[in-house]
Amino acid sequence: MNKGIIKASDLSLVYKDGTKALNNINIEINPGDLVYITGPSGSGKTSFLKLLMGIEYPTEGSLNVLGVDIKRGHQGRIQKMRRQIGPIFQEFKLIEGRSALENVCMGMRFFGIRPSKIRQQAMEALIRVGLESKIHTKVENLSWGQAQRVAIARAVVRKPKLLLADEPTGNLDHENAVSMLQLLASFCDSNTAVVITTHATHLIENQKNAIYVHVEKGEFSIKAGKTGIAAIS
Amino acid sequence: MKSLFYNTGYFIRELFKTIRLSPLSNFFSFIGTSLILLLFGLIMISWWIGDNFISSLKDEAQISAYFAPGLKQEQMHTLVEEIASLEGVTAARYIDTEMAYEENKRLLGDEADILELFDDNPFESYIDIRINLDDMDSVIGKVSGLQGIDYVRDNREVLVQLKGLVNAIKLIGSVVALAVGITTIIIISHMIRQGIYNNREQINTLWLLGAPAWFIGFPFVLAGILLTLLGGVAAVGLIILMLEGGYAQLKSYLVFLPLPSVIELKQNISYIIIAISAGLGLFGSLFGLSSIKKD
Repeated sequence: MNKGIIKASDLSLVYKDGTKALNNINIEINPGDLVYITGPSGSGKTSFLKLLMGIEYPTEGSLNVLGVDIKRGHQGRIQKMRRQIGPIFQEFKLIEGRSALENVCMGMRFFGIRPSKIRQQAMEALIRVGLESKIHTKVENLSWGQAQRVAIARAVVRKPKLLLADEPTGNLDHENAVSMLQLLASFCDSNTAVVITTHATHLIENQKNAIYVHVEKGEFSIKAGKTGIAAIS
Repeated sequence: MKSLFYNTGYFIRELFKTIRLSPLSNFFSFIGTSLILLLFGLIMISWWIGDNFISSLKDEAQISAYFAPGLKQEQMHTLVEEIASLEGVTAARYIDTEMAYEENKRLLGDEADILELFDDNPFESYIDIRINLDDMDSVIGKVSGLQGIDYVRDNREVLVQLKGLVNAIKLIGSVVALAVGITTIIIISHMIRQGIYNNREQINTLWLLGAPAWFIGFPFVLAGILLTLLGGVAAVGLIILMLEGGYAQLKSYLVFLPLPSVIELKQNISYIIIAISAGLGLFGSLFGLSSIKKD
């Protein structure tokens, strides 16, 4: 069954200063897909995630994420779409002065769920990412890796249809980086697609049953994979 | 609605956090709002007193109609009845020469001795006519035109001047009310914008997580309303203190002015300032919130 939670057709992105970030991208990602987007710094990986989040808009072609066309004027729909996404930002975007638990709860407060249930689910998510001893620690007092795990907990507690992780291996040593990728891959199931960008291609060579997309100068090319990519250019 | 209900505690915590993030600036906003609302309250009170005075003037405005020479007593009484039935006349009373003498003696006060220089009573009988101020011109015209009336004496100039003074107070009051409204909105919206700036990273994160605009903005609206309301309460407190200390003194200076009851004045000014401060707080906050960049 092809549900296509991300559909990009002839998608291009040119920034206002004239920088060509993405050029003529065609891709389709379905629920349950685990997608690795690799490429060197500045190749367009983060730009693609920004488009998926509705932070940037296509300058050419079309992009549909979770049934919403990403374009100007669709801000209300994009905002609702974001509630179905679990984003893990490169710089985490945690709220300082608050505990790990409060940060995770923050991602669900506007879902119309009882505070006690939010708290319970947030604690479960923090335990799942291995932070049971840091639940009440303020995020500025956590290590880089721990803060990243809070960001992951905040993303997955929302039970997203699409989990987006931007350079999650950035500052980690080899062992922790592999462990981080394994953790993220573990959230991929029949309801959730996981898209991970990384420049560390060597870390994902042993991953199986995944879609590999390599980005070079804004153009996508397949490196390995199974199903789900309708067209690659 | 569920989110609003479930997050009451969160919104209250965020509201105080917003205020705590720039305490000095918010304190100055509070002081500024209090002083502006105090000024507004004082103008309102002046307006009120003026309005009360105008209402009294309207009820109490008086003209005097003097009889033509040689008029008989019955004709005078007929004229009084005729004048009493005119539109715009609230009462007409015959004042004989003795009553006119006593009235003038009362008005002269310490200078009344001067009347003893006269061998005879120098005052004529006349008709004391109470009129509605708005109908003054038409009543004077009708009374002057009646047969048997020699002339009409009125205090039109004084009444017109007083009316003009009260209208000027009303105009100033309107201008001040407008200025207060605009200034309060500017102060509160500036405070909200500053709060948004201080919390920009949190707001940006919530926005990217898909939080609705109302959810992000609600604590700021609450903060704006709270600070303006506190300013209103402080202004009310100062006005009540001023009224308690100065109203009796004001009454003793303005014995000729019918002043409204101080209790009524306190109640009305409290309700108005609190309602206006809440309204301005809400409007100022929403105005400040409109600066949130959505894209």
